[in-house]
Amino acid sequence: MHRQFRHGEQNVKPPPFSYVRAESVEHAVTLLRQHDGEAKLLAGGQSLMPMLNFRLLAPEVLIDISRLDALRRIEETAGGLTIGAGVRHRQLLESPIVAERFPLLGEAMTHVAHLAIRNRGTIGGSISHADPAAELPMMMVLLDAVIDVTGPDGVRQVEAAEFFEAALTTCLEEDEMVTAIHLPWLPAGAGTAFTEIARRHGDFALAGAGAVIAGGDVRIAVMGVHDTPLRVAAAEEIIAGNGSIDDAVAAVREAIEPNDDLQASADYRRHLAGVLVGRVIRLAMERRA
Amino acid sequence: MTGKITICLKVNGRTYERLAEPRILLSDFLRHEINRTGTHVGCEHGVCGACTVLIDGESVRSCLTLAVQAEDTEVTTVEGLGEVDDLNLLQRKFREHHALQCGFCTPGMLMTATDILSRRQRLTEAELRDALSGNICRCTGYEHIVRAVAEALEETLGGQA
Amino acid sequence: MTSDLRPKLIGARVQRVEDPRLLTGNGEYVDDIKLPDTLHVAILRSDHAHAVIGEIDKADAEAMPGVIGIFTGADVNGLIKAPTAFSRMPKYQATPLTPLADGRVRYVGEPVCAVVAESRYLAEDAAALIMVDYDPLPVISRAEDAASDGFAPMHEGHESNILVQREFRKGDAAEAMAGAAARVSSRFRMYRRTPVPMENRSYLADYDRGRRKLTLWSSTQVPGVIRDALAEAFDVPGSRVRVVAPDVGGGFGSKTSLYPEELLVSILARKLGQPVKWTSDRLEDLTATSQAFDETVTAELGVDADGRLLALTAEILGDVGAQSIYPWTAALEPMQVAGFLPGPYVLENYAASVKAVATNKPPGGPYRGVGRPAACFVIERLMDMAAKELGMDPAEIRRRNFVQPDQFPYRIGSGIVWDRSGFTEGLEGAIEAIGYEALKAERETARAEGRWFGIGFASYAELTGLGSRMSAAPGMPINTGTETATIAVDATGAITATLGIADHGQGLGTTMRQIIADELGVGVDDITVVQGDTDAITHSTGTYASRSTVLAGGASHLAARALREKIATAAAFMLDVTPGEIDINDGLVEAVGTNKRLTLAEVGNAVYSEMGRFPPEMRQDLDLTATRFYDPQFGTTSSATHIAAVEIDPETLMVEVKRIAIAEDCGRVINPLIVDGQVHGGVAQGIGVALYEEVIHDENGQCLSASLVDYVVPSAPEVPPMDVVHIEAVAEGTEGGYRGMGEGGTIGAPAAIANAIADALAHLGIEITEVPVTPERLYRLLKNAEASRA
Repeated sequence: MHRQFRHGEQNVKPPPFSYVRAESVEHAVTLLRQHDGEAKLLAGGQSLMPMLNFRLLAPEVLIDISRLDALRRIEETAGGLTIGAGVRHRQLLESPIVAERFPLLGEAMTHVAHLAIRNRGTIGGSISHADPAAELPMMMVLLDAVIDVTGPDGVRQVEAAEFFEAALTTCLEEDEMVTAIHLPWLPAGAGTAFTEIARRHGDFALAGAGAVIAGGDVRIAVMGVHDTPLRVAAAEEIIAGNGSIDDAVAAVREAIEPNDDLQASADYRRHLAGVLVGRVIRLAMERRA
Repeated sequence: MTGKITICLKVNGRTYERLAEPRILLSDFLRHEINRTGTHVGCEHGVCGACTVLIDGESVRSCLTLAVQAEDTEVTTVEGLGEVDDLNLLQRKFREHHALQCGFCTPGMLMTATDILSRRQRLTEAELRDALSGNICRCTGYEHIVRAVAEALEETLGGQA
Repeated sequence: MTSDLRPKLIGARVQRVEDPRLLTGNGEYVDDIKLPDTLHVAILRSDHAHAVIGEIDKADAEAMPGVIGIFTGADVNGLIKAPTAFSRMPKYQATPLTPLADGRVRYVGEPVCAVVAESRYLAEDAAALIMVDYDPLPVISRAEDAASDGFAPMHEGHESNILVQREFRKGDAAEAMAGAAARVSSRFRMYRRTPVPMENRSYLADYDRGRRKLTLWSSTQVPGVIRDALAEAFDVPGSRVRVVAPDVGGGFGSKTSLYPEELLVSILARKLGQPVKWTSDRLEDLTATSQAFDETVTAELGVDADGRLLALTAEILGDVGAQSIYPWTAALEPMQVAGFLPGPYVLENYAASVKAVATNKPPGGPYRGVGRPAACFVIERLMDMAAKELGMDPAEIRRRNFVQPDQFPYRIGSGIVWDRSGFTEGLEGAIEAIGYEALKAERETARAEGRWFGIGFASYAELTGLGSRMSAAPGMPINTGTETATIAVDATGAITATLGIADHGQGLGTTMRQIIADELGVGVDDITVVQGDTDAITHSTGTYASRSTVLAGGASHLAARALREKIATAAAFMLDVTPGEIDINDGLVEAVGTNKRLTLAEVGNAVYSEMGRFPPEMRQDLDLTATRFYDPQFGTTSSATHIAAVEIDPETLMVEVKRIAIAEDCGRVINPLIVDGQVHGGVAQGIGVALYEEVIHDENGQCLSASLVDYVVPSAPEVPPMDVVHIEAVAEGTEGGYRGMGEGGTIGAPAAIANAIADALAHLGIEITEVPVTPERLYRLLKNAEASRA
């Protein structure tokens, strides 16, 4: 993000707000509904607090959900892994089951910012923030995640591809919150790979790519080169049909609409996206069992 | 708007109770409400790491934490590491290796290094630099900092090969 | 008489005396200082780059809780005389400095209103409610436009936006160029930077109404300059202004000038009768702290068939932002580009023209290296381009052209005179440190594998430790050429040294102790150093321009020697020997060859507290205090060679600096730890200059790089291992043999890395003429090269 220096927004302290600790998910949702768009959820705060400090947001109420134990569990089910929205990045990185069944997630998450951010930031917070250059949103679409969205009327399940609508925009209504993420187990013998390019270690990616390849099940996704993380079906079909990696790369370059910004032009991002997709496809293929 | 609330924090083993607005950042609470000015503010958008403290032993950016969020936790700041005539291991290594110049990034650097040491993992130099990548220093060029932390880590792990 | 058997502290890796305090959170930076009833300031800054200020609606803001008052230029500017940086340079156009904008704004970030409230949070709440009407004026966002006639002068009374210009000439460059066997040229561009010290600027002013005295705690490198400026601005005697620089969290030149906010808090403290504090946040730092390195240099180098330099011509355009900064003037950086462009080489024909132009950007000011990073970048790129044209090794073309030992002192094309620093030794030292032959073999292997691997050299020389006969900007309102040291022993034997410098990380508290301890025969812990306080010393400026070791070190040597004589005189009397028989070791004053000894405390106590201990005719000269001043007259030449190895990923175009070797000459080294630290830190910033950092303004003068997410400074993984070699060509002409140092990393590293990148891309015929070499720039260069091959 680059910020234009704007009248009244140039100083760095949060604006005034009321603070309340949610005692349960229901309580949090009720408060969201009550405050009708004037409340924000505070979990890890690693995305929210910079925006508050810059006064890019001025909510009337902050609802602190960081102490809800119900959101902090990682559970194995028959179909896959269920991760509570309040699970911190560090927890995911240190979880043996995640390391064993989703090494790709761990690979991606070592690129998430820095130690202190990973100690506090949560998976629910990261995907709700929906930065198109962030690792976790791309992991959601790549891993075919299903996201539990809880509102006043209960829980609805949203597929990752539907969850991310545009840059910094999700399908969440004002009175809804993410409560859990379901990751279906990967196909047996799948090879996976992730890579990204950033100016410095831990910075937002200029571009990133991930691949999951197992027989006919081919998944290819990119981040930082479109206004949401993107699965590129055309590229997946090519690889699933034993087409060439170069053709898959071209399909990705065709499919994305990258931005021009301070760090990189759309052209360069398009170039990078292709390079990185080529690399993850090769690596994922090598890693197949 | 909102009035002040009572915020009760345990910092370096001591309990403090203050009346402040809920929006007060942990960094400002430490520096201005309880006069622990060892924690420094460098950017207030979570990039530079100068404000790093420990909450329950884990490094966090105090500029991205509301003071009220730190209630019911153990907060450790640089003042909790050692004394002028009784420096702890990390502080001694920093001194030996000239790992500080102006000293402004140093408290945050020490707190991050304390977190790193507490994980008791052997790290290559590249991994150590990655672990320190969230703390910016403009003075030292990092080389002496990396040496100091590497040696402290080595000693913490008992010097096993 | 000092015992030669005693191990010397000068040259030793002494651990810093400052460290325990700073390591335990006991540092005292300006924002740490708490005074009762302090009021806090939030500044509303211009969001227009060039405009007339119309109505300011502050009614809603004034009504906010905790707000004491809201002030504009109309309220405060008339309360002082506006400091103006003067210069003797012909055609120089000065700009006055006002605490708040004076009816007109000239850069985004210029202070317009000051909100004073009980807390910073409340002040910012109020600032958000102030509405300012601006009447926009045309924005000058490019230096080329400022130099043309197309825009009206942005300052009243000016004839143009060219604030200063000058020509440099030696020999006949045009003729010599015409006879050159090879000529290389380009338009070089170094883009705008900002120093980003970790501590943001912070100022706390307190006015004692009873004593009518202003005290300003300032995060500054130059408390003495600020104090003199404030005394003049308020038209009060110097004894009624005190400026203290406590612990300062880095400066790198960004804290070497007088800032409007320093004037502002001082005025407000006097007006409101309470202490007033303002601490910059990082966004303000990135948009209103002085910026640097914004230079365009069109240059040509001509060499003979053997690679010897024949002629150098250059046109230099420096973008110095909206003001001629106080006290350095707009001339500071652009003139140094021209001044140092000829480098450490023998070159008899030089012609350069320099223009420093005003644009609607934040004021330009000093940043580590000042004009030398741009100068080194240009000449070292030209050297490599010439070497390539002739098929010469880049080490050899430099070796062949360095000023040789028998040619010193050597006057270069700009009039600067080099004394005998280790130019050739630096080159050979760096070559050995990096293992140049093995590195070339590594490059061959890499290239055979299709990898883009490059090696780059940069050699430079600079003037440091400037004395009174060398001015960074002739006619500027301060004296940078002298330092004074006062050293005293008190009745308890405690030694206090009072210096006019202002350490902000360079460990001067320790290195000065090393000098004084060696001269006096005591330990570093026996000495207290007082610095950074204008009340403690009659006159001072501060720490900047790589001067403190040479000047304050020199003064400390002289003062310590003078003090030692007094101690010896007193002790000799007390021990009934002659002063020549007295030696001091480990703090004990001994009569050599006897077992008669005294502690310093005994001597001090005798002089001060024992009535009638000394006869009256002795006592007059026996105060155990000595003050000496030191002026090195010209200054010292410092130099270094940097060699960098880079590898570029041919697909992603990410540049990795794999290694850097630096062989530097700073004369006699007092503390190798500290010299290494300065080299490392400077090189890290140099990597930022080469690859990462850029202040970006759009055509409306809006700053696009206004956070640390967008202004990218190197973190630990971006800095490679560094090999540092100390050449130590002892300076003959200075007290102690020191040469100044500290700025070399930003001078040599960007050029070496740029050359290494050019080397890595040589097979594609791509030249590097702009820094920073960002991935996007590299991508464009490659695309353009592909297109022209097609």
